[in-house]
Amino acid sequence: MILDEALPHLPRLRRHARLLTGDAARADDLLQDTLERALLKAALWRPERGGPDRDAALRAWLLSLMHKLFLNQRRDERQHLYEEFDEARSDELQPSHEPALHLRLDLERALAALPAAAREVLLLVCVEELSYEAAAQVLELPVGTVMSRLSRARERLRLLMQGAPAGARPGGLRVVK
Amino acid sequence: MDGKEVHAMNEASLHAYVDGQLGDDEAAEVAQWLLDHPEDARRVLAWRGQRAALQGLHAQLLDEPLPPRLLQALKAPPPQAVAANAPRYRLQALAGVAILGLGLALGWGSHAWLRAERPAPLTAAVPAFVRDAAIAHAVYLPERRHPVEVGAEQQEHLVQWLSKRLGQPLRVPALQAEGYRLIGGRLLPAGEDEGADAALARAQFMYEDEHGGRLTLYVSVVPPAQAVPTAFRFSREERGGRSFYWVDGRLGYALTGPLSQQQLSLLGSRVYEQLQPAPK
Repeated sequence: MILDEALPHLPRLRRHARLLTGDAARADDLLQDTLERALLKAALWRPERGGPDRDAALRAWLLSLMHKLFLNQRRDERQHLYEEFDEARSDELQPSHEPALHLRLDLERALAALPAAAREVLLLVCVEELSYEAAAQVLELPVGTVMSRLSRARERLRLLMQGAPAGARPGGLRVVK
Repeated sequence: MDGKEVHAMNEASLHAYVDGQLGDDEAAEVAQWLLDHPEDARRVLAWRGQRAALQGLHAQLLDEPLPPRLLQALKAPPPQAVAANAPRYRLQALAGVAILGLGLALGWGSHAWLRAERPAPLTAAVPAFVRDAAIAHAVYLPERRHPVEVGAEQQEHLVQWLSKRLGQPLRVPALQAEGYRLIGGRLLPAGEDEGADAALARAQFMYEDEHGGRLTLYVSVVPPAQAVPTAFRFSREERGGRSFYWVDGRLGYALTGPLSQQQLSLLGSRVYEQLQPAPK
């Protein structure tokens, strides 16, 4: 049964939803909708012959369902920026995470400030580690479009992070004190 | 490279390099390009840092138990109940038995799954940390003014601080007897292959001989799955030198410099010896 097979993918899908929406409650709603959609369409799902292995194909399929629901939601809400951040949850961070807290929030803000399309490409490639071709399939875009979005997203994120307070740059150097 | 000159590097290739989506030969070509083009190397390093930082965002969700309602959403209704808008209460009613099994499976197996589920890097020949070491070497080697963040005079402090950040006790080998003095070290962003819980930092130590020839020692915490001791190996030779690398415990080391294999392995073995615990 494919839904049992989906189980190991859920924590990653949940994180993907979290990074995509920028909000914990929205993320879980999005994941729940995705799973319900998957449940309805499970009988129709077949891994592509000659495609990636079954597990990767299933994950890509779930990601594409999530992508479509995410797009629909945004269309419905006509919302182009999620401004609300889930700061209430930051108290869950363990003490060991604290030194990284500022970096984390800045990166999260910068990520949320990207256009949704750029954020999706960036997350699929960097965090979900999909190949460009697989990301293009999930997003139903030509590979070239994925590449150009990726390139712009990276530059944009880099600039956004440079606008952040010094010392909070992910790729920059940290001064040892 | 058959004496062929690459005159411009395709932007897409730089991205594909960062994302581990190039074959060995292409990756080597890009690595070579980066050695000669520090501006591109800086961008590549920044993108890798970005990638690693993004992978760290909300990584705690990967180990968190799933909320029950999500597990309930997975429970299939009986075939006749499949309808476009099956109300949630029906799913909930069916979920009870499954939850126990799912909970057990998740609680027990999630760590193993999640680790095993990470896609393998596409270019597995040379560990990612060695490629990062080569890039970092190329970037900082030519620096005359600020080759290091913290000079050797603050060595004790540097070592303590880096050890804390890496989460592993670190030692800085002395290579004076071989003609190289430590000029200092710096902290660098981690590459892409760190586990979510791994330290986010890597360290580079720079050494210099009396003629200004430089060596770098790159130290990286490796994810537990990759933390198997490896034999000493050499990476492919690049113009900026080659790397002599190994993994010991949770740390991966790469010593990079424009030296012969013989010289490099000699220095590498001196480093290795000094990293071993002192005999009691």
